Amino acid sequence: MSKVFLGIDVGSVSTNVIALDHNYELLFNYYARTSGQPIESIKTGLEKFHSQYPDLIVAGVGTTGSGRQLAGVMVGADVVKNEITAHAVATTHFHPEVRTIFEIGGQDSKIILLKDGIVVDFAMNTVCAAGTGSFLDHQAERMKIPIEKFGEMALKSKNEVRIAGRCTVFAESDMIAKQQYGFTKEDIINGLCQALVRNYINNVGRGKKLEPPFAFQGGVAANVGIRAAFEKEIKHKVIIPKYFGVMGAIGAAILAREKIEKSQEKTTFRGFGALQTEFVPKSFTCNGCSNSCEVIRVTAGGKTIAVWGDRCGTWKEKMKQSLSEAI
Amino acid sequence: MKISFPYMGTVLVYKKLLQLLGHEVIIPPRPTKRTIDLGVKYSPEFACFPFKVIMGTYIEACEMGVDTIVSSGGFGPCRAGFYGEIHRRILKSLGYDIDLIILDQPLQDKNFLKKVKFLKGNNSWLDVIKAVKFTYRLIQEIDRFEKEIYRLMPYETEPGQAKKAWNSIQAEFDQAIDQAGLERAKERSLDILKSIKVHEIPEKDKIRIGIVGEIYVVMEPSINMDMEELLCKLGCEVERSQYLSEWVDHNLLPNIFKKSRDAMFIEKGKPYIGRAIGGHAQQSVGAIVDFKDRNFDGIIHLMPFACLPELISQSIIPRISKEHNIPVLTLAIDEQTGQTNALTRIEAFIDLVRNKKASVNIA
Repeated sequence: MSKVFLGIDVGSVSTNVIALDHNYELLFNYYARTSGQPIESIKTGLEKFHSQYPDLIVAGVGTTGSGRQLAGVMVGADVVKNEITAHAVATTHFHPEVRTIFEIGGQDSKIILLKDGIVVDFAMNTVCAAGTGSFLDHQAERMKIPIEKFGEMALKSKNEVRIAGRCTVFAESDMIAKQQYGFTKEDIINGLCQALVRNYINNVGRGKKLEPPFAFQGGVAANVGIRAAFEKEIKHKVIIPKYFGVMGAIGAAILAREKIEKSQEKTTFRGFGALQTEFVPKSFTCNGCSNSCEVIRVTAGGKTIAVWGDRCGTWKEKMKQSLSEAI
Repeated sequence: MKISFPYMGTVLVYKKLLQLLGHEVIIPPRPTKRTIDLGVKYSPEFACFPFKVIMGTYIEACEMGVDTIVSSGGFGPCRAGFYGEIHRRILKSLGYDIDLIILDQPLQDKNFLKKVKFLKGNNSWLDVIKAVKFTYRLIQEIDRFEKEIYRLMPYETEPGQAKKAWNSIQAEFDQAIDQAGLERAKERSLDILKSIKVHEIPEKDKIRIGIVGEIYVVMEPSINMDMEELLCKLGCEVERSQYLSEWVDHNLLPNIFKKSRDAMFIEKGKPYIGRAIGGHAQQSVGAIVDFKDRNFDGIIHLMPFACLPELISQSIIPRISKEHNIPVLTLAIDEQTGQTNALTRIEAFIDLVRNKKASVNIA
């Protein structure tokens, strides 16, 4: 029976569950919208994998993304890693020569600079979602164009239209104005793609020296219009990794594998049976002080298995005590 | 007279000094969400974040019946120069007609003596000098122990040990009221420090991070995500660019005998920012150079969102980072409490620093 390593990336918009075989080939790939229900999407992803490959042994699991902590507790991950490191690990595995990674996801976007395979600098958008997948999603919806067709339409553009990309709100009013001038949809979409890339490079990549070779990944890399806009903006070819949409999850799986192989320990994966246990994250406002922290408590089968969100550590301490008493 | 002060860092020293002068002191509550909410509500929208938190603290102190507040800061070209006056006016408009005493560099403030006389009350000058001298020694000792705590915390065998030790040390010093008491507190604190059990880590694997930036967001853990503790939990030793004793050295004492650490930072930062532009921008850039000179592995640069001096230093930092080959992560601190994004960046930054060190070790 062969062994696989699982990677789970719980992002703000989508959840990916992937499995890598011993040759680092993608064996299984599950993508779902998180829709505010990360636990359900992780469960469905893992169940799908198990029913498709009931004989494979899971030798390690890694989680990443903004929901990495919750996912990690739920599945019993060997590695819980931030998405910047995870993305960099995956890209350097498949394309060791890459010096700059552009990653655009649902609600965040990053630039990662590498040298000799290690991260030397990175930047991430902070408060503004302009220049991310959500922005495109929103505009596609407004123009009644399926997001999948968005990129192709951009390539059909014949005229340059400049759209303000600084802010989603401005971009939108600019687009409406340009529509009313009589520009075609294709031209406007193309202008939008260029505005997004311009905004991304100026905002996220501010002050950074971007060196080729470039890789472009994340959900938005599916959009050929954006790919073209990137190559135009940086005047250089851009590599799109084979599994561009799930690089974070792949990175988490690779990190899990590295850890297991280095430590020679057994995985802490809870197994597929454990998925039947009911995981309930509950949030409550702690009234211990006027910080009023929103504390998250995850229970599995009625037992508290993790607590976070308390700034002072009172609840974490309480949980530790109750756990040690149980032992 | 009920007297209070802004909450920043180890507050027991401010309390101590005022108590020694015979004042009735009310310690304001540690900033919480309510403090920030109050501050944001009653501050001008464009004011910097520390202004808002301190505003909230003052309101909470006033609610506790305070009638006099002693604070610092007042000069310099950035907005901080207006802090005291605007705080006073806002408090007045809220119906709190209190005295706000702003102490700053004695040589620049022509009212300095008047303010000191007010705080002096009925004490003799000799008593005042004694009290100031004692408090100064107290801050120096406490700062020394605090530095030690954050050097040990990343290696503690049992999580929480160092934090507990730090609280006990503060309690020890809180009891000291004279020189003998101080010596006792020092001795006991050394024992407490020794009781922290730590893992032995080879020197080459130790990661040292310096925190630089605007003084309030650097010194007050309740608003900077508990940055020192957070970094310790990620396995790094931490030192700040600012400690209270050093602020006193630089701002309140004449620099005749020795150069303060701040003056040294400013000297080291000269090639990047040649003149005072307000806030702590000069110190921030100089501190980065100094940390690198002392073989630190990375820098976290904290700035209040839209702080003008630190915006300037932020734009110069990429050059310093390159010329001195040290990674720097800038984080803007604001009222936003969602920390996922910042946490992701800090974790990734520490990975970066670690990998960089590992690759240097191999080479």
